[in-house]
Parts: sequence; C-alpha cells; structure tokens
Amino acid sequence: MAENNFRTLQSANKGKTYFLLASMGLLTWLVAYAALTYFGAGTASTIVPLAVGFALIGVWGSYYGSDKLVLTMTGAKLIQREDAPELFNVIEEVVIASGLPMPKVAIVEDTAPNAFATGRNPEHALIAFTTRMLEVMDRDELQGVIAHELSHVANRDTLVSAVAATTAGAIAILSDFLTRMMFFGGGRDRNRGGNGNPLALVFSLVILILAPLAALLLKSAISRKREALADATAVSFTRNPAGLRKALEVLAADTTVVRQKSNAVAHIWIESPLDSTSVSKLFSTHPPIQERIATLRAMESLGPSAGN
Amino acid sequence: MEYIVIGAIVLLVVFAIAQYNRLIRLNITVDEAFAQIEVQLKRRADLIPNLVETVKGYAQHERSTFDAVVAARAKSTSASTVADVAAADGALTSALRGLLAVAEAYPDLKASSNFLSLQEELSTTENKVSFSRQFYNDNVRSLNTAVKTIPTSFFVGLAKVGAREFYEVENPEDRNVPNVKF
Repeated sequence: MAENNFRTLQSANKGKTYFLLASMGLLTWLVAYAALTYFGAGTASTIVPLAVGFALIGVWGSYYGSDKLVLTMTGAKLIQREDAPELFNVIEEVVIASGLPMPKVAIVEDTAPNAFATGRNPEHALIAFTTRMLEVMDRDELQGVIAHELSHVANRDTLVSAVAATTAGAIAILSDFLTRMMFFGGGRDRNRGGNGNPLALVFSLVILILAPLAALLLKSAISRKREALADATAVSFTRNPAGLRKALEVLAADTTVVRQKSNAVAHIWIESPLDSTSVSKLFSTHPPIQERIATLRAMESLGPSAGN
Repeated sequence: MEYIVIGAIVLLVVFAIAQYNRLIRLNITVDEAFAQIEVQLKRRADLIPNLVETVKGYAQHERSTFDAVVAARAKSTSASTVADVAAADGALTSALRGLLAVAEAYPDLKASSNFLSLQEELSTTENKVSFSRQFYNDNVRSLNTAVKTIPTSFFVGLAKVGAREFYEVENPEDRNVPNVKF
C-alpha cells in the first residue's frame, strides 16, 4: 500500500475520526449514566434531553447557516470572478480535480496569511482567504491551500465538527447542571433516586467533574485528525504535495496571526490563529505545522508516479 | 415462514437494485468526466488562434512552430474516441510547449500585456486539462474496479456497463495521474 501514500493516510485518518466520534458517544453515555446514578431517574430523564436539546439548538443553527454566520464572524466579504480572476482560475482547477461544485469565495482583510472553508454541504460551501495570503503565495502554494480547503468541503468537516461540538456542548451543559445541583439541593434528589452504592456515587461524581475536560480533549483530537485528513485529501486532488508543503512552510515562517483570535472559529483556519505557546498541544485544534510539513515531504519522496 | 421468504426476497431485490444503480452511476460519472476533458480541450483550442496571432506579431520567422500548433489544433477538434482525443491532446500540448519556448527568445513579446494575460489563461487551461484527465482516470479506475469485483460484477450484463478506457497521453511526462494497479 505504500505506493499510494495519500490514500493510506486518508483511510487511516478517517478511521481515527470514527474512533474519536465513538469515544464521544461513549462519554455522553457515561455522563448520562452518572447523572442517573447520582440523581435518580426522575431528574436525569428531564435534564439529559434538556442538555442535548440546548446543545443541538446552539450548534445546529450555526451549522446550518455556517456559510453566512462565519462571514459575519470573520468579516469576510464575498467576491466575484472579476475581482480576482487569477484566484478564481486556480480555484476552478482544483474544483475540476475534486469533482466538487464551485464554492463561494470570500476575502478577509487581514495582515496574517490564512484561509478557511465552511458550509453545511458541498453545495453551500464557502472558502475564504486573507488578503495577505493572496500576496505571499505563489500559484503552486495557493493551489495546495485551495486543495486543503476544498478537502474540508469534500470530507464534510463542518458536519464532523458540528457533531463533535454538539456532544462536547451537551456534556458541558450537563455536568454544569449537575455540579450546581449537587451543591444546591442535590440531597433531596439523591433520596428520591435511592441509589445507595457509595462506589457508584463516587464514580459518577468523578465522571461528572472530568467529562467536560475529556470532551474538550476529544473535540480537539477530532479537529487535528480532520486537518491531517484534509492535507492527505489535498494531495489526492493536486498530486503535488510540494505545493501545500511550501505553503505551510510560508505559514510556519510567518509570525503574524489573524487579528481576531476568537476561540469559536479557531478550528476553521488552515493555520491555527491561536498562539501555540498559550494553548497546550493536547488542546490544539491543529497538528503541529512541522509535523504536517514532514508528512507532506514524505509523500513527495514517493514521486508523482510512484504507483507505476 | 412465508414472511421470512418474502423478507429475504425483498432484501435481495433491494441489494440488486443498489448494485445496478452503483454501476450506472459510476458509468455516468465517467461520461461526465470525459465531457469535462472535452470542455477544457475546447477552451484551450479557442485560445490558440489568439495566441498564435500575438506571437506572430513579434516573431514572424517561426513559421514551422505556428504550423505545428495550427495542425495539432485542427486534429484535436476532429477527434472523438478516447484514444484519438488523448493522442491529439498530447500532440497539441507538445506543440504549444514549442510555441512558448519560441516566445522565450523575444523579450518584447514576453513583456506585452496581451501575451501575459494569454499566458495566464493558457497555464490555467493546461492545469484544468490535466486535472480533468486525472478526474476522468480516477473515475475510470472506480468503474473498472466495480466491473471486475464481486458483487457489482454480477450485474455488469444487466446494467450493460463495461470497463472503460483510461485516458493516456502519448508523452509520458504529460501523464499527471499515477497508474494505480490493484
């Protein structure tokens, strides 16, 4: 299989995402179980659906309108072909390579080079670039960046991160609810629940306290895997790992970061806009850029026609 | 008992329909991908008269280069089968390469705005041609795999779908697609 490195990488990264999403499911189930043992069926049966409902409304609203919402959050402006014919040429090339429909294109006025993709499905996809990105990238590098962004569209990463965010959100709301209730009148519920096993109670308590942290870690891990997957898919579109590799090197060498450092939209950029020193590696939404460069370099050494 | 039998038959029919539809879908995608190659080749062919005129304005003596490009273009517009289109495409690609190499020797030409915009058009079209070839070949690979592997292979006769031809350009350097073996 070594001769088709990007295909192997793609399926490996997909497999890991499924595993992580399954872990998320397991974690939600554990939290629900903890709520059940700690507070009894009466309380748990109202607050578990409530928490999931809140998270669903919050996340899915933004998922459905992601293309429009992100425009306002990042200050990106939609552009037409006449505004940037060369950019559109390169995008059209990658669109042909990927077989996806043509996405909407937007520009963000910013002095840091960066790009992102969003939209609930390929028909509503939007890709955006900062003005600086278009200045610093040559044609091959830009092609690599566009391929990476369109890979997010092809891999439905807006959906994947919406699922991850919903579960993490539900768990956070739930454990917040429950820890509050523990201090204010939790005793009454406990009597009603009538679960006397102290071991189960301690176990539930630990789950409720640690679950939000675990959910956050899982969410970040999913985001990192999707970034790695998008790099591999990008190579399957362009068959030119060098383009994306050089682009990432340019981004790595650049020390400016996108002005608005909102955590809420950090995961959608090609290069993490958050300062890597302030965020530990485990919570990072992106794999270390040097690691991504090394992976692409390894693909380059296989050559463009390694399959022959 | 009869419910089990009816259930099994229904499941079998649903399964057969799914396999049949998969083959038909793959075959249509290959058709679409080939149409995309032709669209991009047509785009390139449309750029050529303008390009030749522009280069001629600066380099009248390069008759043979112009003739080669014009001849290759004429051949490419009349080709229809995959192999013919691919061969004509390869010939035109190398003729164009010759023309651009000629342009290198004329600084005035290279600096002219008309030539610069043509060059951008030409390079994006070349990329689009090669990506549409790659997309076509990827889809042929999926179709051919389905045609030869179980269970889809059982429905090949029913769907009247067969293995399709890869788009192979004469000049091996022009082949951007790794020829994947299974």
